[in-house]
Amino acid sequence: MLKIEAIMPTLKSSLLIMILLAAAASAGSHVDDYAQVTGPCNLSFPADHGPHADYRTEWWYYTGNLTGADQRRYGFQLTFFRTRLKPPSARRDWPEPASPWRSDQIYLAHAAVSDLSGRRHLQDERMTRPVLDLAGAEHAQGAWKIHLGTWQTRIAPDLHQLQADTKDFTLFLDLVPGKPPVLHGAAGYSRKGQTAERASCYYSFTRLQAAGELTLDGTRHKVTGTAWMDHEFSTAPLQPGITGWDWFSLQLSDQTEIMIFLLRQPDGSLNPATSGTYVPPTGDPQHLREKDLQVTPTDFWTSPHSGARYPIGWRIVIDALHCDLTVTANLPDQEMRTPRSTDVVYWEGSVRAQGSKEGQKVEGLGYVELTGYARPFEAPM
Amino acid sequence: MTGSSAHPLILYLRLFAWFSLRHLRSHMGRALAVLLGIALGAAVFTSVRLAVHATVGSFARSMDLIAGAADLTLVQPGGRVPDALVGPLLRHPAVQAASPVLTTYVRPSDQDEPFLLIGSDPILDRNVRAWTAPVGDATAGFAWAALMSTPYTLVVGEQLAAQFGWQADQRITLIHSQRTAPFTVLAIMDSSGLGLIEGGRIALCDIATFQELTGFMGLADRIDLILTPGATQDQIASLQDLLPAGVVLRAPSERKESGLGMIRAYQFSLTFLSFISLFVGMFLVYSLVALNAAVRRRELAVLRATGASRRMLFGLFIGEGAFLGLCGWLLALPVSSVLVKFLLAGVSRTVSTLFVRVQVDTVVLSPWEVLLSLAVTLAVAMLAALQPAREAMQVAPREALDIAPMAALAPRLIRSMALTGLVMLALVYPVSRLPSLPAVSLPGYLAALLLFIGFALPAPWTLRMLGRLLSAPLARLGGQPAFLAARYLKQSGVQTAISVSALITAVALFTALVIMIHSFRGTVALWIGQSIAGDLYVRPKLAELNNFRDPLAPRVKAAIKNLTTPVTLVPMRRMDLRINDHEHIFEAMDYAAYTTRSRFIWMGGDRQRIEADLIAGRGVAVSEVFANSTGLQPGDRYRVRIRDQVLDQPILGVFRDYRTQGGAVYYSRHHYRQRFDDDDWNAVQINFSAPPPARADALARVRTELLACCGDAIEMVEGAYLRRAVLRIFDETFAITTVLLLIALVVAALGIATALAVQVLQRARELNTLRAVGGSATQLRRMILWEAGLIVTAGQAAGLICGFLLAYLLIFVVNLQSFGWTFIYRVDWPALLFALPLIFIAALLAALPAVRLALSGTPAVLLR
Repeated sequence: MLKIEAIMPTLKSSLLIMILLAAAASAGSHVDDYAQVTGPCNLSFPADHGPHADYRTEWWYYTGNLTGADQRRYGFQLTFFRTRLKPPSARRDWPEPASPWRSDQIYLAHAAVSDLSGRRHLQDERMTRPVLDLAGAEHAQGAWKIHLGTWQTRIAPDLHQLQADTKDFTLFLDLVPGKPPVLHGAAGYSRKGQTAERASCYYSFTRLQAAGELTLDGTRHKVTGTAWMDHEFSTAPLQPGITGWDWFSLQLSDQTEIMIFLLRQPDGSLNPATSGTYVPPTGDPQHLREKDLQVTPTDFWTSPHSGARYPIGWRIVIDALHCDLTVTANLPDQEMRTPRSTDVVYWEGSVRAQGSKEGQKVEGLGYVELTGYARPFEAPM
Repeated sequence: MTGSSAHPLILYLRLFAWFSLRHLRSHMGRALAVLLGIALGAAVFTSVRLAVHATVGSFARSMDLIAGAADLTLVQPGGRVPDALVGPLLRHPAVQAASPVLTTYVRPSDQDEPFLLIGSDPILDRNVRAWTAPVGDATAGFAWAALMSTPYTLVVGEQLAAQFGWQADQRITLIHSQRTAPFTVLAIMDSSGLGLIEGGRIALCDIATFQELTGFMGLADRIDLILTPGATQDQIASLQDLLPAGVVLRAPSERKESGLGMIRAYQFSLTFLSFISLFVGMFLVYSLVALNAAVRRRELAVLRATGASRRMLFGLFIGEGAFLGLCGWLLALPVSSVLVKFLLAGVSRTVSTLFVRVQVDTVVLSPWEVLLSLAVTLAVAMLAALQPAREAMQVAPREALDIAPMAALAPRLIRSMALTGLVMLALVYPVSRLPSLPAVSLPGYLAALLLFIGFALPAPWTLRMLGRLLSAPLARLGGQPAFLAARYLKQSGVQTAISVSALITAVALFTALVIMIHSFRGTVALWIGQSIAGDLYVRPKLAELNNFRDPLAPRVKAAIKNLTTPVTLVPMRRMDLRINDHEHIFEAMDYAAYTTRSRFIWMGGDRQRIEADLIAGRGVAVSEVFANSTGLQPGDRYRVRIRDQVLDQPILGVFRDYRTQGGAVYYSRHHYRQRFDDDDWNAVQINFSAPPPARADALARVRTELLACCGDAIEMVEGAYLRRAVLRIFDETFAITTVLLLIALVVAALGIATALAVQVLQRARELNTLRAVGGSATQLRRMILWEAGLIVTAGQAAGLICGFLLAYLLIFVVNLQSFGWTFIYRVDWPALLFALPLIFIAALLAALPAVRLALSGTPAVLLR
């Protein structure tokens, strides 16, 4: 098993949102004014399922693949983002008394369902400040509730409960962890660059058994499947010069999981910080380095909405695992657009995998995130 | 004629050019006078419409932009809405978006001009109202994030930034009634969406900053809702279950409708006044076309004899009217472009002062307005040409051989016209009693029109009767010229009648407006003297602009209560309430303290009993406007929701009140405070116990004392200044009316001059016959002057009577139905006694060119 040295494993579009917001709002304040991830995270559960408000950015990220009783297949995404717009020290400048609306944080959420049988991708977004019970995180009865309006996740030690309702769909899911949380990096301290503070605290539930209800077009569908959850918080911005990233989370039929993260540079090469994580059936994570990974796009799709050209088929070869997989998008159009909040455009979609691993045939399902294809991303420093 | 086989239109145009245009060109002077009159009328009509529509349009646009995409809005009558409702609302299935909003007027500390500050949550509000900061500034795109995370920051509209020279990152200080605070300008808004409200003279801040500035923690003026598409009626109705008592759901357009309702009466009365000029101009066109039709009967007969159809002749004269209308309208365009600037400033200032604040920079010339102005001018001109054209149709070919064909009215027709006029006069009263649309006094204006026509139609009969009755006495008084003038009146035709009608209209309008304005001003002065008789008024800063919504700060109240100078205090709790969709002012006031200096002017009932009951909290007093607008009278119940309670009191009496905000209701402050546990003051009247000589010193002491403690939060207005200011506003309001009236009089004067010239010219043969048989030029001049004098006297006398009646209609019908108030009828005799002789002399002078014209040729030539 390889030692993991991941860099910001879930460098999702959330980072773009967070960094832009933070850069705009915290002009004049210094990164040092925020809490920094510079060493061991000492993650402890269930306390660390909750928010870490002194850090600049944080997210709870759920993706998964579901099957209805009628064998219709679906993918889903439900993500809660928290961003601090000003360092904690800026509260000294708050008026006295401060308005109940006074806040230095924002909560955002994205929800999407890929109706794979119906060949459609439904999506919605929310954003608000955590005041007056509009959004936030609370701990009660041994569980954390992260919520934004009627959308929420309730994280108990042995159960995650998701709830989201949009104009197009409603999702209620119970997720039971099949493996304990996987701590990335050094016990959750996940390096993102050359300096100590370019890091995050990061863990994942890589195999959650999902069961619940999905309502589409007014019809309720009982669904079951598997899901993946990431929770990460950080203050450091992304490595400069990265134009985007391709992120893979694959749950294979041999009860293993693979996460790969490709950081793309302007010349098409991968940043050395590119890496991945292999989770064997026992749950002990194994780090995958950039040189271990060969990921080749095999198929492309151009979005009629944004004009972006995304890869939607890949061949993934990981010599260290004797693994050769073909990964295919279950639906080409799974592009997320967020015009009512941050206007970020990215592709987040359900995929299937098949191939071989250590000489055995394997197949699996997963999720892929592709950012920086609609427009180049320049991380402000 | 040539080309009988030509296309009828081409034939018509050729004939029009040959017959009509050539004639007009050869009598250029007359044509120009008529054109000038029409141009003035059309210019006034067009300019008033453009100015009023620009003002109303600007207000409506601002209201639409403020309402944004909201489907419903939550308000609390008499208070503000708890903002904690936003969370439950957003979780309700019928609600897609909910945004709390607060607005107030603030003023930069170094500027005099206030502006609108809007406080909202930039995230929740983005679905309801859009705004953007310009591209180019790295952080401007996320100005909303900085706005909510940095206290006391704002984003300002482009026009406001330009007006005050503000730029991003600039530090400014804003004054609000509760606090003066430093702000930082984050970015300048684009002139789109929210950035267009009040012409871009607005600023936006985060709701947290707004609440911290104003102290309205946990409150919003309103919460705007966007409903979920497809939300059922049951779901929408169930929203009410979420709301605490007193909070109600309303249509977001109600504020706009309420504001437009207040402006509507003013808008309609201005449009009516502007139309008067065009209406008077109609007489001008009639005079000229009728003259042409009358003096060219022989030519018309020749045309008929050579094959021209009746329709062709009719078309020629209607075409003449249309041609005059078109040329007048074209001439009106440059006049309008000048006039509209003056009117726009006046109208928008008046609307801002009296009704709702508007910011109008430019007039947008819509094709619809251009077409309407052209259509109305053409219609008026063609309508004026209708009767002469019909007469021209009747010309028989045999008249070509007549020596002196003349238009004359048959005696039977004259009698039937007089009878019709009398019937119309009889209809004036019943029509004026018809029910009216809100704020638009159609019955009043219709009755006024009947009055005008009722006085105009009997003019020929009256003139004949006058001529018959006056010829003998006048012969004794002025000799042969006076006798002949009276005889002429007796034989006068439709021409003279029309001239007199024009004069009646102009004089009546002048008299009525003079009486109305005088009565109005006199009553307002009485009202001010009795109702606003306090010595000093103290209110929060910018209270008037903010509709007295903000209470005086507690420290101000404490300072006023602890004044060392002996004073009587009359505190007032004021709020805007609504009853049956009628917005009005509710004031809780201690009437006993009020009567130490002031008193209401009651419109009936037992004054002492009403006042005793009012002081004892046994009912409410309502203003005349409120009573007339709602139909509620003494004895009826006044039921209104104030926050979470319903106030249900009998109406004790009705008093005169001339505020333009929809009527007022008064209740005892003592009882209000007990019942609603609300001791806020929105303003306070301070009266000094000291007699007048020592009062000035006491006033100065109190001013100094209050300025020292609370100068940053209050405005102090001396009663005497306030009374002068109200009268000044009154006079400014009527400045536009006066200008419109003067223009109508100028058009009428042109009409009289033209009409007299027409009469003289029409009788050129007769006059020159007199001259040929020995009449001297002096005798003829005297005769014509006598005629003019008789006509003008008759017109003025009838106009004066008509004017007195019209003034009654304006005061007791039009004003009542438009604004809900009436005034005490007072005739401004000095003004009338000064003006009417002037009109008489002006009319006589207008006859002089006609005299010169009549005698300009030799009798031989004219009689040939």
